Amino acid sequence: MSLTVRGLVAGYGRLSVLHGVDLDAAEGRLVAVIGANGAGKTTLLRALSGLIPVSGGTVTLAGADVTGYGPERLARAGLAHVPENRLVFPSLSVEDNLVLGAYTRRRRPAAERAHARDRALELFPRLQPRLQQAAGTMSGGEQQMLAIARGLMAQPRVLVLDEPSVGLAPRLVGEIFAALGRLRDDGLTLVAVEQNARAAFAVADHVYVMDRGRVVLDGAAATLAADPRVTAAFLGGGVSADGGGKPPPATDTAADAGLR
Amino acid sequence: MTDLLQLVFAGLSQGAVYALIAIGFVSVFTVSGVINLAQGEFAALAGLVAISAVGSGLPLPAAAAVALATVAIVAVLMERLTIRPVKRMTTLVSLILTLGVSTALKALMLLVFGPNAEGLTPFTPGGFTVAGVSIRYQELWILAIAAVVASAVYWFYDHTLAGKSLRACAEQPVAARLVGISLGRASLMAFLIAGCVGAVAGVLASPIYFTSWESGLTLGLKGFVAATLGGLVSVRGAVLGGLLLGVLENLTAGYISTGLRDAVAFLLLIVVLVARPSGVFGRHAEARV
Ligand SMILES: Nc1ncnc2c1ncn2[C@@H]1O[C@H](COP(=O)(O)OP(=O)(O)OP(=O)(O)O)[C@@H](O)[C@H]1O
Ligand SMILES: [Mg+2]
Repeated sequence: MSLTVRGLVAGYGRLSVLHGVDLDAAEGRLVAVIGANGAGKTTLLRALSGLIPVSGGTVTLAGADVTGYGPERLARAGLAHVPENRLVFPSLSVEDNLVLGAYTRRRRPAAERAHARDRALELFPRLQPRLQQAAGTMSGGEQQMLAIARGLMAQPRVLVLDEPSVGLAPRLVGEIFAALGRLRDDGLTLVAVEQNARAAFAVADHVYVMDRGRVVLDGAAATLAADPRVTAAFLGGGVSADGGGKPPPATDTAADAGLR
Repeated sequence: MTDLLQLVFAGLSQGAVYALIAIGFVSVFTVSGVINLAQGEFAALAGLVAISAVGSGLPLPAAAAVALATVAIVAVLMERLTIRPVKRMTTLVSLILTLGVSTALKALMLLVFGPNAEGLTPFTPGGFTVAGVSIRYQELWILAIAAVVASAVYWFYDHTLAGKSLRACAEQPVAARLVGISLGRASLMAFLIAGCVGAVAGVLASPIYFTSWESGLTLGLKGFVAATLGGLVSVRGAVLGGLLLGVLENLTAGYISTGLRDAVAFLLLIVVLVARPSGVFGRHAEARV
């Protein structure tokens, strides 16, 4: 299922944050969105999954206009959003977090949900021994895996993720992105907002660069990775395939690199 | 010793009533941040409806069922008409709103049922004495039914998808919406639970403690204090808080002065809010419901 965003305008109350964002994620593609802190990446995901109202533009899922849908309805339409900071349900067990992930599928046959659960655990085998543990007591990396697994329990057609690698050790980052790559290969459409540009470039098909509420640059990952503006601002040297390397630049280097 | 046992027993059965009302506060507060000041009115209304249903010739179980259904409908209507329309609900706004509903319900009860306090016929009249402690059958009914209802609520939150979805809304409302849970429906369900436990409390209490249009005030207050003892977010804490309050009230009335009975709740509330704002039985702030 493809996701198309056209001229999206959104913000918080009077504060306008997104000023007309276009984004295309074709079926079975992994699209990465990078950008400095405060560029509006989280806001973009919130707007397209209905957490904040949209004041202009359209969001289209598989050709159907879903602009203005609330998150509950979008979840039913096949969009899953793995939010910033994971937001697992802390006092509930890992198992129950997964069960709730399949909330929109609660009236479907139990075998379907069991299948989704098996696949999620196959993708993140570290969750298996912790199924009875309270989600809030897990490590940050485990919680991130749980948040993604919970999103997958809805058997979404489009998965959007907000900084799946934040705060994780390089090896875990590699593990998570490898998992995202496998999901893409299975035909899932993914949009990942990412601070760790190296990891994003290593697996993404297409990369969008956002700055101050706008997409300032986009292109195939391989092409963009060679773009001097991008290397200067986000990669700080060559792109490594293992997703490891230096942490992303903390300062706003987009301006220095001539992206504005 | 016999005195002590007698006071503790009476305190437990009275505390069981507070515990049920406290569960109502907890179920609503965790999901929506609303402190429902009409919770006591749910109990009073159930008592009055049951009394008048018995008065019109219905057998007791049927009267109790009518009372339960009435209060459940009132609770659901209250949520739809006064809570849902509010765009930005804060606890302060909820206090003002629900105080209004509570006042309206009281006026309505006064109008419909008149000013007199009455008692429902006991489920089983009489009682017995064991080891010098006199026990009314109704007190046993209270303890037994409250235990069943509290366990059912606990089981609901722990083992059913609907219960887990309410806990999800309480802990991470944003993530709950993202997995497809509707906060509006969760709030409605929370009020339904609050109405049901409040109604059970009201019907159970009426034969011993009597019911009038204004008994919701005291019941609601005691229930609120009990819930606060448990940190306002835990069913288990609410039950323990209710039982503790009931026992302390009866010990105070028995050993110090009957006049101080109602002061116990306020004293406890002050002590708890000053010393342990998260409640005496509240464990970690995260574990809600
Ligand atoms: N809830 C909110 N209320 C008001 N303003 C907000 C809110 N959330 C974000 N903003 C503002 O919107 C702008 C974009 O924030 P957003 O969270 O989308 O950035 P981001 O690209 O995700 O940044 P980061 O990489 O740090 O996560 C920022 O200026 C921020 O201050
Ligand atoms: Mg962000």
